[in-house]
Amino acid sequence: MRFVLKDDFLKKLREISKNYKVFVPVKKDYFHLFQELKDDILPDFSFFNTKLSPKSILFPQSERMFEYSLDKDDPDAYILKEAKKDFSPQIIVGIRPCDAHAFQIVKQNFDTPEYKDPWWTKRYSLTTFIGLACNSPRSSCFCLKVGGGPFSEKGLDAIMYDLGEGFLIKDITDKGRDFLDKIGGDEAKKEHLEKAEKLKKEAEEKIKVDLKIEDLLKRPVLSVFESDIWNSVSFPCITCGICTFLCPTCWCFDIQDEVYGKRGDRIRNWDSCMFPIFTLHASGYNPRGEKFRRVRQRFMHKLKYYPERYKKGIQCSGCGRCIMYCPTNMDIRRIINMLAEEKRNESISSLSCKD
Amino acid sequence: MEWKPKIVAFLCNWCSYGAADLAGVSRLQYPPYFRIIRVPCSSRVDTRFIIQAFRNGADAVWVSGCHPGDCHYIEGNMYARRRFVLLKRLLEFIGIEPERIFFSWISSAEGTKFAETAKLIAEKVKKLGPSDFFVKRRAEVP
Amino acid sequence: MEGYTEKIRQIAKRLFEEKRIDIFIGYEKGTNPFFPRPTLISDPQEVEKLIWNSNCGLNLCTYLTGRKERIGIVATGCVSRSIVNHIIENQIKREKIYIVGIPCKGIIDYRKVLRRIEGKEVLRIEEEGESFKVICDGFEERFKKEDFLQENCLSCTHPNPVIYDELVADPVTPRSERPVYKDVEEIEKKSPKEKRSYIEQAIEGCIRCYACRNVCPHCYCPTCFIDEKIPYFGKSIDFVDTLTFHIIRAMHLAGRCTDCGSCERVCPMGIPIRIFVKKLNKDAFELFSWQSGMSLEKGQLLSTYRRDDYDDFI
Repeated sequence: MRFVLKDDFLKKLREISKNYKVFVPVKKDYFHLFQELKDDILPDFSFFNTKLSPKSILFPQSERMFEYSLDKDDPDAYILKEAKKDFSPQIIVGIRPCDAHAFQIVKQNFDTPEYKDPWWTKRYSLTTFIGLACNSPRSSCFCLKVGGGPFSEKGLDAIMYDLGEGFLIKDITDKGRDFLDKIGGDEAKKEHLEKAEKLKKEAEEKIKVDLKIEDLLKRPVLSVFESDIWNSVSFPCITCGICTFLCPTCWCFDIQDEVYGKRGDRIRNWDSCMFPIFTLHASGYNPRGEKFRRVRQRFMHKLKYYPERYKKGIQCSGCGRCIMYCPTNMDIRRIINMLAEEKRNESISSLSCKD
Repeated sequence: MEWKPKIVAFLCNWCSYGAADLAGVSRLQYPPYFRIIRVPCSSRVDTRFIIQAFRNGADAVWVSGCHPGDCHYIEGNMYARRRFVLLKRLLEFIGIEPERIFFSWISSAEGTKFAETAKLIAEKVKKLGPSDFFVKRRAEVP
Repeated sequence: MEGYTEKIRQIAKRLFEEKRIDIFIGYEKGTNPFFPRPTLISDPQEVEKLIWNSNCGLNLCTYLTGRKERIGIVATGCVSRSIVNHIIENQIKREKIYIVGIPCKGIIDYRKVLRRIEGKEVLRIEEEGESFKVICDGFEERFKKEDFLQENCLSCTHPNPVIYDELVADPVTPRSERPVYKDVEEIEKKSPKEKRSYIEQAIEGCIRCYACRNVCPHCYCPTCFIDEKIPYFGKSIDFVDTLTFHIIRAMHLAGRCTDCGSCERVCPMGIPIRIFVKKLNKDAFELFSWQSGMSLEKGQLLSTYRRDDYDDFI
């Protein structure tokens, strides 16, 4: 455990950024975003959480897969080649425990024994996650209830505690120890550790919401699917996709070919199950054409299909971004409790296939 | 190699295309920078056509139709008139020079007017240089 | 806008009892003070859920498209004009809706508030007359509503509904100090180069979530042009593709947009989306004396014409 004063920390970070790509939270207008640390960028570690999650550092919103050119002057003409990528080691400093936990959830999908997403896994292996524990969670945060916590260490290589005048940094993995060696700092003193303990208790007490996730996980899948609440709960949704784009655990993407002039690219973009044409078949049939089916699908995937398949809790890290930025206030906590408390005759429903 | 402008011209089949034909038959000279696309009526020209022309690298776009009141389909060019005025001003608003978009009414007997307009447009576009703002290039993605 | 909540609840209850409507669409209290939740009630017991405050900025007309029941709906000036457009375009029948008109005094722009309190988390908002109090964890401040209104509300020309079946309060006087198209005029004065750099800065954060399109009541095409394969305009965050989306969408809304401000309100990245359609509406007003959604008789801007329309073509 080391203790570093904030000014020294920033100085050391700038030195590190000469050899590594360092991503830090930066204040823009009234919110924060992760950006690469350059000379003219000033990090700001006093923030609740960034608006866009850092998932775009491993999984960019638009990414080129392949390219080709038909230009006779090009030596590589008529060859379909994999796009050149920049795989340099990177460090994300100041990631919140909910976002780090989210990367572990996404890893279930992108790094399986049968299939590995080549770019996500490569970037993941080159990234060091230095977390920043939350001293004051927001009212929309509920990380503690989904297997994480404001001071949780899941998915992190090292974690920093903000003690006011400096950071107390604890290393968790070898990568974390490397980072700590580069930062330097002094040995942590007893009062630092005690202050960190106190902050942890205060933060965890702030997350008061009562989420009945265990009850929901016990319900049979088909019973939740056929619940009567979906029609009324899905009314406000405008299927915009903001929740899926800001969510650190959402992972769907769409692959498109773009041809312009003599060149062509195959690009993958973030896609959203909320978009009307997400499930449009080539025949013209759309199984999820109606809004309530798409809304139901999103919550079923997060709350039932993912836990049933991977047995690691729900596909949510409790960051609360979907609650804060949803323009029609669709609240996942409300839906979890409504589903958990719903009284249904579960023995009959497993036989019917209404939808 | 000297830059030659690429100007996409949407000409309505009944009037302006006939004027272009007449200009050709009468051996009237005008610069060869025009790529002509025949459309049944000037109101067939959708916003998307003009936008796609600029995205694909056109240096200017020219749409020409029958005189208002003389449309073969009675009122097509009346609807087109409103649409084009608004579109031209919107594109000017986002920073595409107003001298890159032209609309004209040329009837099928006005071969000279067609050639003169073509010369005028070519001159104006040559002064502006190649279009570089709204061109679809390699996406700036990682 | 005090007393509106009570009035709306009374009216809704009465409409259900008289069997005049099947469902009522309004707002209910949610978990985010800046975004009350749109709600649909079909049971007179549920009217107590309905509320109205100065954060009810979403255009409820989006929820009317394709509905066949008899609907009661709350509508301010801009929302009522959207309903007029819906009726003209055959998306809803006039006899099927009962419009509860709300003379609007303006909607609070949450971005202005968050900028002023430097990103603190707002837990509650309490309104009182011309001011509102923002309550955070360990911090409270009272602000004047006038200083924090949305941009479209500051240049509002029709705060009172243009069609309605019943008003909840007396009509308010429209504000007259601010020129309606001030923001557009400021950009028109720039040189082409400055315009381009303004546009580049404005569009750069767009994440193509299509919230602006989805919340707009006039964007109800079964397949939006951007989702079509031919022509394929690109779905990545490339600048030219994003600008293409906004420009073509603006042209599709020319003369139909009623400047309700919902698109800018829902945008997660704070893009000034209204600027394109505002420019088109300004030109429509100056050239064709056109104002969107004012009369049930006329056709729409681009599907009507006059012989003496503005014409400066070669």
